[in-house]
Amino acid sequence: MFLIFALITLAGAVALVFQRNLVVAGLCLVLCFMGVAGLFLLLANPVAAALQIIVYSGAIVVLLLFVVMLLNEHQEEPAARSRPLQRWLSVAVILALGAGVVKLVTGSRVLRQLDANARSAMPAPMTLNKLGDALFSQHLLGFEVAGLLLLAAMVGAVALVKRDL
Amino acid sequence: MTSLNSLLCGGLQGYILVALLLFLIGLGAVLVRRSILLQFMGVELMLNAANVALLAFARFRGGDPQGTVFYLFIIAVAACEAAVGLALVVGLYRHRQSTDTDRADALKQ
Repeated sequence: MFLIFALITLAGAVALVFQRNLVVAGLCLVLCFMGVAGLFLLLANPVAAALQIIVYSGAIVVLLLFVVMLLNEHQEEPAARSRPLQRWLSVAVILALGAGVVKLVTGSRVLRQLDANARSAMPAPMTLNKLGDALFSQHLLGFEVAGLLLLAAMVGAVALVKRDL
Repeated sequence: MTSLNSLLCGGLQGYILVALLLFLIGLGAVLVRRSILLQFMGVELMLNAANVALLAFARFRGGDPQGTVFYLFIIAVAACEAAVGLALVVGLYRHRQSTDTDRADALKQ
């Protein structure tokens, strides 16, 4: 199961990078987010999976697709001038980082230790009950600040796109 | 439990590897593509990679609800970032009739 969802996630992400049409790229993003939601389910965290689908594949991608269609920019414009050095440099940096990451993760003794510890005692799945307890007893201030931040972002977004405020 | 088995069958290493690869793919989208909307999608991928790593560690350290609380905060910030970022993209397009980041290289027109 893990392999299926991991492949869905990575395939969606790779398809996004190589996609020419921006609307199709947005749909690849949905595929990727669905894969991530599946990974959250496998991590015994159905709350996070539901939030992922509602907020990311629901709200954020829909907003993104609205803007793509509003601007009528379905294709990437042809380059004003080609910058081969920057392009190949970024590809080389990413490949080097990828090789380093694979080597580090597969060789890490601490990760293997944590993995072995978790296998002996499987924790119970996350529920909204536990999440609400932790959120409202220990992080009430953070919750209020997040609400204020959302309000500020909403006002800011309206102010930015309105022509004559 | 061998390393390869842990990678393929949903051990901690598998999740961390997926998270890091997702982050690198998002970074690739930001660095290689020129459309600001695709770069925005790359940023979202990187945020998601951080979420996968956070929740994987929360699960493998005993199912702590703190991990999910922080995931909630990250989602709130990501939603704010999406709203403001897309408003900025619309503003940029109004000024320059373009979403190409290579062409948006001057502060004043």
